[in-house]
Amino acid sequence: MDSSSAAPPVDRAATWPQTLIGSAALLLGAGLAWGATGISSEAGYAGVGPNFLPWVVSVVLMLCGAWLILEARTGGWRQLEPPSGAVAGDWGALAWVAGGVALNAALLTRVGFILSCTLCFMLAVRGLRGSEGKTHGGAKGLVLDFVTGFLIAAPAFWLFTQVLGINLPGLTDTGWL
Amino acid sequence: MDIWNQLLQGFATAGTPINLMWAFIGCAIGTAVGVLPGLGPAVTVAMLLPITAQVEPTASMIFFAGIYYGAMYGGSTTSILLNTPGETGTMVTALEGFKMAKNGRAGAALATSAIGSFVAGTIATVLVTLFAPYMAEFAVKLGPPEYFMLMLLAFTTVSAVLGKSMLRGMTALFIGLAIGLVGLDQITAQVRYTGGVPEFLDGIEVVLVAVGLFAVGECMYTALYEGKSKKELNRMGSVHMNKLEWKRSWPAWLRGTAIGFPFGTIPAGGSEIPTFLSYGVERKLSKFKSEFGTTGAIEGVAGPEAANNSAVTATLVPLLTLGIPTSVTAAILLSALQNYGINAGPQLFQTSSGLVWALIASLYIGNVMLLVLNLPLVGLWVKLLKIPRPQLYAGILIFATIGVYGMRQSSFDLFLMLGIGLVGVVMRRFDFPTAPVIVGMILGPMAEAQMRNALSIGEGKWSVFIERPMSASLLAVVLAILILPQVWGLAKRWAARAG
Repeated sequence: MDSSSAAPPVDRAATWPQTLIGSAALLLGAGLAWGATGISSEAGYAGVGPNFLPWVVSVVLMLCGAWLILEARTGGWRQLEPPSGAVAGDWGALAWVAGGVALNAALLTRVGFILSCTLCFMLAVRGLRGSEGKTHGGAKGLVLDFVTGFLIAAPAFWLFTQVLGINLPGLTDTGWL
Repeated sequence: MDIWNQLLQGFATAGTPINLMWAFIGCAIGTAVGVLPGLGPAVTVAMLLPITAQVEPTASMIFFAGIYYGAMYGGSTTSILLNTPGETGTMVTALEGFKMAKNGRAGAALATSAIGSFVAGTIATVLVTLFAPYMAEFAVKLGPPEYFMLMLLAFTTVSAVLGKSMLRGMTALFIGLAIGLVGLDQITAQVRYTGGVPEFLDGIEVVLVAVGLFAVGECMYTALYEGKSKKELNRMGSVHMNKLEWKRSWPAWLRGTAIGFPFGTIPAGGSEIPTFLSYGVERKLSKFKSEFGTTGAIEGVAGPEAANNSAVTATLVPLLTLGIPTSVTAAILLSALQNYGINAGPQLFQTSSGLVWALIASLYIGNVMLLVLNLPLVGLWVKLLKIPRPQLYAGILIFATIGVYGMRQSSFDLFLMLGIGLVGVVMRRFDFPTAPVIVGMILGPMAEAQMRNALSIGEGKWSVFIERPMSASLLAVVLAILILPQVWGLAKRWAARAG
C-alpha cells in the first residue's frame, strides 16, 4: 500500500462512495465485535476458545475499514482499476432485475418454481433490454418473454426434480407444474 | 507398480458407461459455460452442488472436474473471438488471440489453444498421477500446526499477492472469514452470529455466496453498467494450423506446461500468474517479435493456454493431498466433498482411493473428449455467443434459483442471494477481488479448527508454531510474502529519491 506516495488530484466528491464502503466495513467489524462479546471463551486445552477468531476478524475488519476511509479521504483508494462499463448506472434496469429476483424469492413456494421463475425471467429481461436502450416490445414482447422463460424454467424443473431428485416447489403435486 | 495398478482400477471405474456419461456431460456443460460470458466454472459447479444429495460421490466429482476443465477450453474460444475473456485464466489468450482473429487467423489460434490445452492437460495429469501419491504420503506426517500455516499461506497469497491492492484483498478475505463464522463452532458446537435466525444455524452455504456474488451480481452489474457496451464477434474461418504454426506452437506448449504446473500446486491463486509469466517468456523467446501486439503471435496463445490448463490440473494436487484449495473452483470442489462427509487430505488416498483414482483417470478421458468437443465441433459452441444478452443473463437467474433453493429448500436463502448479489455489484465496481471471500469462507472454519488443535498440542502456547521446523519455515514464507513487497516498494522509492 503506497499510502505515502503523492496522492493523485482527485476531487473529494468522487471519493464519497469509497468513504461509505470503508464505513460499512468498519461498521461490520464493530457489529462482529459486539456479537463476539456474547460468545463463550471456554478454551479447554487450547488456550483460545470459540470467541478468539470472531475477535480477530472483527478487529481486522475495523482496521481495514478505517484504512479504506483514510485512503478515500486522502485522494482516493490506491491502485484502483477503473471499472468497466458506463460511468453512470442505469438504476431503473437494476430495479427491474432486483425486483425479479425478490419477487421470485417471495412467490417461489406459492405459485411453484416454473411460474415464479418465468416471472423473474420476464422482469429481468425487461430490465436488461431496457439498459441496452431497446423497448420492451409491447404485448407481443411480453408473450414472447413468457414463452422463452417458460421454455427454460419448465425443462430445468423437470430435469432437476424428476431426473436428479432435487426438491423444488411445484404449484401442483403432479410434479409437472 | 502400485500406482499403475491403482490407475488401471481408476480407469475401470471411470470407464463405466454411467461415469463416462457424467464426464461427457460435465465437459459439454463446462465448454458451454466457458464460452458463455457471465458464467464460470466456479459458479456453475456451485449451482449444481445440490445434486450431491442424490448422485454418488465418484460420479459427481468426475462431473464437476469435467466442468472445471471444459470451462478452460471454452474460455479461450470466447477470448479469441470476442475479446472478452470467459475466465481470468484466459485473459492473456485474449491479448494475442484476438489480434490473430482480427487478421483472419482465428482458426489457427483456436487450434493451437485447443491442442495446447490437450497437450498440457495430459502432461499435467501424468504429473498428478506420479506425484500426488508421494505428496499424500508426505502430507500424512504434517500436524495441525503445519496445516494451519499452509492455510495461512493460502489466505495470504489469495488476498495479498493477487489483487491490485493488499488492503482491498484483506478486506475481502476477512468478509469471507466473517461469513464462515456464522453457525456452529466446529470444536465446541457453540452457536455464533446466528442472530436467532434458525436458517443460520447450519452456516451460510457456499452455493449461496458464490451464486450471489458471481451469477446474480454479474447479472445486476450488466443491467446497471454494461447495457451500452458493444462487442463485435470475429469471423472464425477454418480451424487448422499450417506446418510453420505447428512448429511454432509445440515448444510454447511444453514451456507453458512446465511454467503452469508448479503454480497450480502452490497456493498462489490459480492460473493468473503462470499465464502472464508464460506470455512474457514466449514474447522474449519468439523469433517473430514484431507479431506480438500487432498482428498476433501464435506463441502468445499457445504458451499461456498450455500454462492455464497445466495449472488448473495441478490445483488437484494440493486439493486431494492436503485438502487445501488454491482456486475458487477448487474451493467449491472441496465443499462438494464436504457435502459427502469426505475429508480431503492425505487420508483421502487411503480412505477414498477408489474415488481419487477414478477422478484422475477421468481427467485423461476428459481431455480427449474436450479435444473432440473443441476442435471439430467448435462452430457449434460459437453459436452460443449469438444468444442475446438479456435472455442469457435472465436465464442464468433461473439456474441460480435452482442451485440456491435446491440446496436447503429455503426462500430465505433467495432473499439473502439478492443481498449478496448487491454486495457483488459494489465489489466489482470498486475493484475488490472476490476470490478471497469464497476461499475465506470455506477455508476459515478449517483453519480455525487446525489452529485450536495445534494450540491444544502446544498446551495453549503459541510457540508451538515456531518450535516445529516445518511450521516455522511456512510462517517465514507467509511473512516474506506480506513484508517483502512493501520493503521492495520502499527501497525503490528511496533509490528514486537518492537518484
